[in-house]
Amino acid sequence: MAADERYDIIVVGGGHNGTTIAAYLAKCGLSVCILEERPELGGAQENTEPVAGARLSPHAIANYGGAAPGWEQLELWKYGFRMDLHARHPEYRPMATGFMTGEGMYQIDDESAMGFGKIAGYLATPSFTQELLRATFWCPPHPPEVELTTENIPYMQVYKKHAPDMWTEELLRWTMFDFMDEHIKGGEQMKTVMAYIAAVSGAFGHHEGQAIPALCSVLACTPPFIPRPVGPRGNIHGYYHALLRCALAHGVVARTCCPVEEIIINNGTAVGVRLKDTAPRGEKRIWANKAVISACDIRHTFNKLIGPSHLDRGFLQRINDLSAKGGSLYVTHWLTKNQLKFRPAYAAAMSGEGVFTGGPYVGGAATRKEYFAHMAEALGWKGRPRLPAKQGCFLWVGNQNYDETHPQCTRPGQYICGPFDTIVSTPEYDPEGPENLNKIRAEMDAYNLELAGVVCENLDHDNIVKTFVNTPWDSELRNCGLFGGSWYGVRHSKDEWWTTRPTPELARGRTQIDGLYLCHQSSMHPGGLCLMACGYNLMHTMIEDGLAKPGAWWYESPWYIPQDGKISAKRP
Amino acid sequence: MDGICGKIFDEFPADSNWDAVVIGGGPNGLMTAAYLAKAGAKVCVVERRYEVGGGLATEEILFPCYYSNMHAIYHLMTDYMPAMKDFNLDVHALTFIKPNLQMAMVFSDGSTLLLTKMIEDTIDSIGKYSPKDAVAFGKQMRNWQRMMDEIVGPATYFPPMPSLDLVVSMQKTEIGRELIELNEMSPLAIMKEHFENDKLRALLLYASCMWGLHPDETGLGLFVPLLLTRAMDKAVLLGGSHKMAGAFSREILRNGGMILDNTQANKIIIENGKVTGVDTWEGRTLHSNVVISSLDPPSTFLDLIGPKNLPGTFLKESAESWKFDKWSYYTLHTVSKEIPHYKCDDPWADESFMTVVGFDSSDQIVKHWKNVVDGKLDHKLIGGHVTCESFWDPHLVRKPGGHVSFFQMHAPYGIEGGWEKKNKEVEAAVMEKWHKAAPNMKKENIIMTLGETPEDIEIRFPNMRRGAIKHGDYNIMQLAYNRPNIECSTSKTPIPGLYLCGASTYPGGMVTGGPGYLAANKVAEDMGLKKWWKPTRLMEKYAKTYL
Repeated sequence: MAADERYDIIVVGGGHNGTTIAAYLAKCGLSVCILEERPELGGAQENTEPVAGARLSPHAIANYGGAAPGWEQLELWKYGFRMDLHARHPEYRPMATGFMTGEGMYQIDDESAMGFGKIAGYLATPSFTQELLRATFWCPPHPPEVELTTENIPYMQVYKKHAPDMWTEELLRWTMFDFMDEHIKGGEQMKTVMAYIAAVSGAFGHHEGQAIPALCSVLACTPPFIPRPVGPRGNIHGYYHALLRCALAHGVVARTCCPVEEIIINNGTAVGVRLKDTAPRGEKRIWANKAVISACDIRHTFNKLIGPSHLDRGFLQRINDLSAKGGSLYVTHWLTKNQLKFRPAYAAAMSGEGVFTGGPYVGGAATRKEYFAHMAEALGWKGRPRLPAKQGCFLWVGNQNYDETHPQCTRPGQYICGPFDTIVSTPEYDPEGPENLNKIRAEMDAYNLELAGVVCENLDHDNIVKTFVNTPWDSELRNCGLFGGSWYGVRHSKDEWWTTRPTPELARGRTQIDGLYLCHQSSMHPGGLCLMACGYNLMHTMIEDGLAKPGAWWYESPWYIPQDGKISAKRP
Repeated sequence: MDGICGKIFDEFPADSNWDAVVIGGGPNGLMTAAYLAKAGAKVCVVERRYEVGGGLATEEILFPCYYSNMHAIYHLMTDYMPAMKDFNLDVHALTFIKPNLQMAMVFSDGSTLLLTKMIEDTIDSIGKYSPKDAVAFGKQMRNWQRMMDEIVGPATYFPPMPSLDLVVSMQKTEIGRELIELNEMSPLAIMKEHFENDKLRALLLYASCMWGLHPDETGLGLFVPLLLTRAMDKAVLLGGSHKMAGAFSREILRNGGMILDNTQANKIIIENGKVTGVDTWEGRTLHSNVVISSLDPPSTFLDLIGPKNLPGTFLKESAESWKFDKWSYYTLHTVSKEIPHYKCDDPWADESFMTVVGFDSSDQIVKHWKNVVDGKLDHKLIGGHVTCESFWDPHLVRKPGGHVSFFQMHAPYGIEGGWEKKNKEVEAAVMEKWHKAAPNMKKENIIMTLGETPEDIEIRFPNMRRGAIKHGDYNIMQLAYNRPNIECSTSKTPIPGLYLCGASTYPGGMVTGGPGYLAANKVAEDMGLKKWWKPTRLMEKYAKTYL
């Protein structure tokens, strides 16, 4: 084994974002090495088969990334990317005609639907939804010296151009609820469910100043922008495989079981990494000629890989204060003997085809009163659920969303159904300790069964063969990058969005350490959802710094503002 | 895919053109594709599962947080497999560990017998029971290791010879003649002839037959030196066996090849008697004049091609008479707080790569196997082998405080009463046996279990039909020149453009890399590709002497 192993770029962490930036940089002709701690690449873009023939989706599920430039730039089709055929089924009815609530199906009235279609850009000619999504997610934060104005913020430009009647400075201050209220008269339940879908998609409907990010989180995964909220063939890990194959085809070296112990800093410059002693390789140090990119979570990056000896104490405080709240999901899959069925009240409207599609559910009357009660419980945690189960909220992916040539369960006479996601307390904020939910699993499982039983008529102990759960604490341990078990890293909030994500000085992926860049959902705009966006956004910085020179296949974001007097990476 | 804004993104096309399509992304399929891709062919591998690797699987089956190599874990042929050197596999972070203590057999009376990589340690262990056998073992192994290095090992990577040619060729050397003599004996007869102590016979019988030889069948004796020397030379791949699949995948992709997972080949298209491509499950067509199947003969010839498209009747008949493995496996995977501690007279046993548990005599092993072949399990007679995986590989554990182990035993695919009913009962019986040998393997210590039945093997790996890990039985009618039949054992089939590269083709299963390597050679020759690889030194020596 070569004693002195060198690459242009070392990427720490082989999840979605690490692999995206690796593929981009390798396509620029750079030599790139990904180092992954787990035995399997993909991070949260993963599937597992814990019982022969039954496939689980412990984290990501649907393809939110439809508007990504990455499809073209990385040509994922060439590397085997396919959607589940069911999404194109000719008899498919768009889902969003009704939603499940504690009081039965709520049917969206035409006026509310039109109102939502208007703010979403569906109804404009041409539709500006894709442009809005790109402006929101796929644009690097403006440089710190550029004053942010209503004229230069990308999504504001999109509204101004396509829907001047909706444009107002308030778009920057509103919550998603406010924005909907402004343009949609009634439709309280629709607004609530949309806000809840946003909450389980990365941005909350009630966060101040997050109207557009929250709205876009909904649009990215719902019809009509993407025909059906269904995953790729091979599920979310199938999507990852296309990305990985692209990276490997361009020469990326990806090593699993290679936990990094430290990023080696030499005279203020990141020059390589040292692997933990458990790594299989002989030589534990690997050198980077141009840059080290940390695609693992930001707390781990600064607390462990860099360490306090190189960092300002106030800065570290800010990093440790980044909130993992809101993204902590209690994820359940049930293996059953019989196909799950909706109760009659939910069956017809929800699926149309008499199939178990699952869907979002908001308890009670599904007004924002219920939404806020749920959020108060989930985010201001009290150790265990206090609200009656029926007043909870969930997102459930039904097993009949998939094409028959893409079965999720191949065990004869059995069915796998899930994930059934509920937002729960973040382990570190749990007053009874981070392992609390693991300790009270039986109680939690019973609670969830009752909740699911509101809409499902046959989820009972006779039917259930096995229950699979990953708590946020499990997720934090098994997916090293998901601190707090948060599947989107850091919530979208005014202090953690775009030019402030994760902190203003780090927003463009550069760090105070020369040659060290960040590309993780917790450290780069816009965060999670497997959007190929963190990598795309960081590419702008890598090009500015003279590290990457892409070919004609590259195009930058139309809203991108280059940085004046940028500091190019000096190398020793 | 289209949405409201028009086209959102492109997907893999419905029709695509390739120089070669490989069906099945297991070790052999991947290896064949990797050799051909590097030789300049445009190759596509079609894989049914969501992960390639086939038996090279390292997955979080003890969910959440604990991984297991639930299939291939004991790498037997790392010293001989040409692909190791050809692809510089160590550059791909493949790190093999070969523990000195390869096998320990713990008996119910608390005695222990060890099989080690360093032969002196084994001899010491045998000496406790029979000084005579200790000497005999050293002598035999000296001979058997030579047979392995000079003949059986390298021959794995040459096309098979018809048995008469083989006999003639072996006459050229003394060791060759000895091998032919040995070949006529059954494994049990070999043990009885050379060793007097039954504990030793039991251990060696288990080691040489555990992968599917019948203890009483004659004509396959050459497998005994192969499997015994291999039993003393097993390696674990640090980070999991799946890493090897990853290494081959990378070679394929880097050289312009493609791996299409999550789909199955539904049909091998035959036009005018020749292969022209593969239809996939979801309706895509991969056009190619070369199709290489790693599946078993019934799957390839009867299901994917169809009896009507087969020339003559030979392929149909031979596929129809194909016998899947005589036994499959039941594996109980566990997560425990402590590693298993064995109650025996040798504390080293706790660190054995493989520990054989539950058997007290060669007779009992033979009886257990006979039951299994008859579709039965007698809970008093069962036994199996245990490996504590996380002892060797810390990466399998994501939540501190747990150890991953498994207890694996031979089991029938079609069990009396059916697996659905028997599963729990068998798990309890296995746990009881295990607990007897290792008292700490009890409820208080166990965090999680998962029993994988032969039916589960078939569900997880659809090409291991009837839980057949080698795609077909090891018997004299299905080995060597007969694997899978006399017309196809050199990888090429009578159907132009169709080749075979799986475990059901010579030399067989067990991640030897033999079928994949041989198919790559044959296809490269037929396609006129320049071979960028050369035989190993052992292979050259063998060829010079015997071919």
